[in-house]
Amino acid sequence: MSPSADPQANGPERNGRYFPGRGPAYWVCAGFACVALGAAGILLGYLVAESLPALRSQGWPFLLGKDWFVGENYGALPMIYGSVMATALALALALPFALGGAVFVAEFLPARARLIVKSIMELLAGVPGIVYGLLGMSFLAPWIKDAFGLIDGNSLLAAGALLGIMVLPTVMTLSEDALRSVPAEYRENALSLGLTQTEVVFSVAVPQALPGIAGAVFLGVGRAMGETIAVLLVIGGIDRIPSPWYDVFSPGQSIPSKLGREAAESLGYGLHWNALMGLGLVLLLMTMAVAFAGNLFLRRARP
Amino acid sequence: MVRGVERPRGFLLAMLALVWCAIGTAAPGGAAEEQTIRVAGSTTVLPIVSKAADRFKVSHRGAAVSVNAGGSGVGVNDVGNGRAQIGMLSRELTREERGQFKNAGLKTHAVGRDAVACVVSSEVYSAGVKTLTREQIRDIYLGKIGNWKDVGGPDRRIVVIDKETHRGTRHVFMQYVFGDEQARAPGARLVTGSNNEEQTKVAQSDAAIGMLSVAWINPDVVGVGIREGGKVIQPTLESVRDGSFPISRNLNLVTAGEPRGIVKEFIDFILGPEGQKIVEESGYVAVR
Repeated sequence: MSPSADPQANGPERNGRYFPGRGPAYWVCAGFACVALGAAGILLGYLVAESLPALRSQGWPFLLGKDWFVGENYGALPMIYGSVMATALALALALPFALGGAVFVAEFLPARARLIVKSIMELLAGVPGIVYGLLGMSFLAPWIKDAFGLIDGNSLLAAGALLGIMVLPTVMTLSEDALRSVPAEYRENALSLGLTQTEVVFSVAVPQALPGIAGAVFLGVGRAMGETIAVLLVIGGIDRIPSPWYDVFSPGQSIPSKLGREAAESLGYGLHWNALMGLGLVLLLMTMAVAFAGNLFLRRARP
Repeated sequence: MVRGVERPRGFLLAMLALVWCAIGTAAPGGAAEEQTIRVAGSTTVLPIVSKAADRFKVSHRGAAVSVNAGGSGVGVNDVGNGRAQIGMLSRELTREERGQFKNAGLKTHAVGRDAVACVVSSEVYSAGVKTLTREQIRDIYLGKIGNWKDVGGPDRRIVVIDKETHRGTRHVFMQYVFGDEQARAPGARLVTGSNNEEQTKVAQSDAAIGMLSVAWINPDVVGVGIREGGKVIQPTLESVRDGSFPISRNLNLVTAGEPRGIVKEFIDFILGPEGQKIVEESGYVAVR
């Protein structure tokens, strides 16, 4: 149907949905929306423009090279590997606790206890990364060293575990919100049909809340991928892919920790800076890919 | 209902007021700007400058000194780009840096002398590793020697701690060990940044080796003697003073061009009797 064929195209009602007229509110809000979109666009454009010299001089070895030595080579693979590995470890460690905790709090706890747990979780979600980082450096890394008999505890595992602890409150509290937003009638109906409480939770509430839970998990992934200072303090800071590749007791380097260590030294100048911006671009593309995959998954999950 | 309609407008006004205030405070206030000295760079030089800044502010009312860390490379970069008036540098300027900031006309001012010690965890030191040769240190950093028992210590794998490549301490140390300030260290297990971080990681481990300014040595982080041609030189201020310790360096302040005004006064203060006393108090050797 072409717009001109619709006699009410400019009217307040279109396809049964109400559209307000273009008053001041429209323009003010549109203006703010454009600023937000423009900021994102400028960021992406800047990263691409700043990283071009490095991408051009290094070519594909920028993404696939394993050697990063300022002034000679810029290969990003160890940092990409470190980011993926630390995030994957964080998820593997945090998800069982976060999701189990969310189900317990949402489905089994009385309202008052639930509020207490929720407010603690929300408080924890707001603790800055440096606090986690210092605690991780003082306690977690030495503990991992002793527990696994390593020569040193600063490792991919330490970074992953610390990230897991950091994203747990976020994922848990948002998943819990999603579970609570499933209408009570659904549970009552299911109970009245003779389902046990376990069946109600896992066949009715959790499937209904799945999009929200997935959203919470992807938000957690985003936070884990972008965390800088906490990871920097415990990951070891070595630009190297361990052998074998799944040896999580080895030190590594994530993209944000690399940027945190080296950005100030080359701020705005030279190929080193361009290469660091290239790393930033890679990280942005990775988080965009995660968000995109999340959307795709959610569209499938919805009935 | 009426309140519900009113509130958004009030909220919007509050937001606008907030934005306005933010812009207002962000704009530099002309007169105050000239009295603020921004300093950044080496964490080795930092104790001198921050202590000097505290006393300088007492004698110069209205002057403000903001001191940031970051490492020598950051200090040079910030001065070259005009983000700071004084950079702290625990080494000399490199040829690349001189070329990169040719227009800024970088000038260094030596304010003290220091030595970089090869430090080990106290457990290793007390187990018998009291001295190392340059060749042994090189092989450890290359990964050829991986166990302390190969250099007379306990049977324990070595945790080799490297530093970020732009750090002044690393330049000086690598220049001595490898003859190349940018040398690679494939044997490294950890990379640290500031002196604090290096000190903490060496202290936490019972098998670590690292590089650290002598002023940061403590009972948990012990400097080993350097064995050279049958002689052992201990990393002490005395051997820095008489010039015998092989890994020593100037602690520099770097400015863009000749310092002027309050910046010159501050540098002169550090070079003066009171400032040089601070240099000694911080664990370094005075230059005047």
